[in-house]
Amino acid sequence: MAEELLDKVRDVVEGQIDFEGQRRAEGYATLLLSLTGLIAFNVGYVLQDIVKCLYVGLGGTLLTFLIIIPPWPFYNKNPVKWLPIGSAFNTGGT
Amino acid sequence: MHSSFTRLQNVFGFFTTVAFVLGAFIAATDLGSARTPSGVIKTDNIQVVKGRPHYYSSKKEEYAIIRFSLEADLSSLFTWNTKQLFVYVTADWTSPGGTNNSAVIWDSIITNPSADHLQNLGPVAMKKLKKSAEGKSIAPERGLLKLKNQKPKYQITHPSGKIAETADVTLKLHYNVQPWVGVLTWNMDKPLGVWNAMRGGVSDLFTLPALKSKDGKGKDTKDKSSTKSKKSKKP
Repeated sequence: MAEELLDKVRDVVEGQIDFEGQRRAEGYATLLLSLTGLIAFNVGYVLQDIVKCLYVGLGGTLLTFLIIIPPWPFYNKNPVKWLPIGSAFNTGGT
Repeated sequence: MHSSFTRLQNVFGFFTTVAFVLGAFIAATDLGSARTPSGVIKTDNIQVVKGRPHYYSSKKEEYAIIRFSLEADLSSLFTWNTKQLFVYVTADWTSPGGTNNSAVIWDSIITNPSADHLQNLGPVAMKKLKKSAEGKSIAPERGLLKLKNQKPKYQITHPSGKIAETADVTLKLHYNVQPWVGVLTWNMDKPLGVWNAMRGGVSDLFTLPALKSKDGKGKDTKDKSSTKSKKSKKP
């Protein structure tokens, strides 16, 4: 019981995602941060206000952190299908 | 990107790159905004007295108090990337030996509204300053200077201890633009792209007067000795 709970906590902290999820996370991070930079620059330049530029930039970065870092379910939609234990090769253990 | 920690590292790493590029873009916009500074400066009352110019002066020496009038238009230096403007006036002359002398007699920090909170002011003055540009991100009108018979902040001396009757002195207006992102820029002698050199900003040649007679000096030296400014006087 306690062990199960600890396992769950470790899973959440480690936040492992599947291979497809990793590819997508990488792409989203690049896209979101680049967009944030572009939008921040344009907002600041058009409104001629560097404080707004700073806050848009920081806000976008925070949003990116929130989207990328936690192991959201959509990063785990393609789990690796392991072969069942002892199905194909008998390694001698069983 | 397999675990939360590597994702944090990767996202933060790319964030620093984006922040740097964004900063470079912001700094580059300065090169596209025209600078057309101009100023008219002239001397008013000039005095040379002998005494201790500062409370820490160990010996008496001659020092000059140059009052001046200044009308300047530095409004074009205020852009979205301007943090503050440092404006200063120097007295310049060449010694007979060929040494160039330059001494700051007055300076001022003019902030853009985005940097108002950085000014070293009391609460009342701070409130007034912030109110003067309420709702504005840039305040070019602060670059319009009108000083009449302005008392200098710093009286000037010379290492030799003698400064009276120095000939061919000029007052010169300088500025230093301090951006939020980018390099510091000073007034230039030659134009650079859309940045024009300062129009005017130099006074006519003048000669410092002879040493003031002993009778009039006592009072003057006393109240000058304690007016050391809090602000940095380095240009």
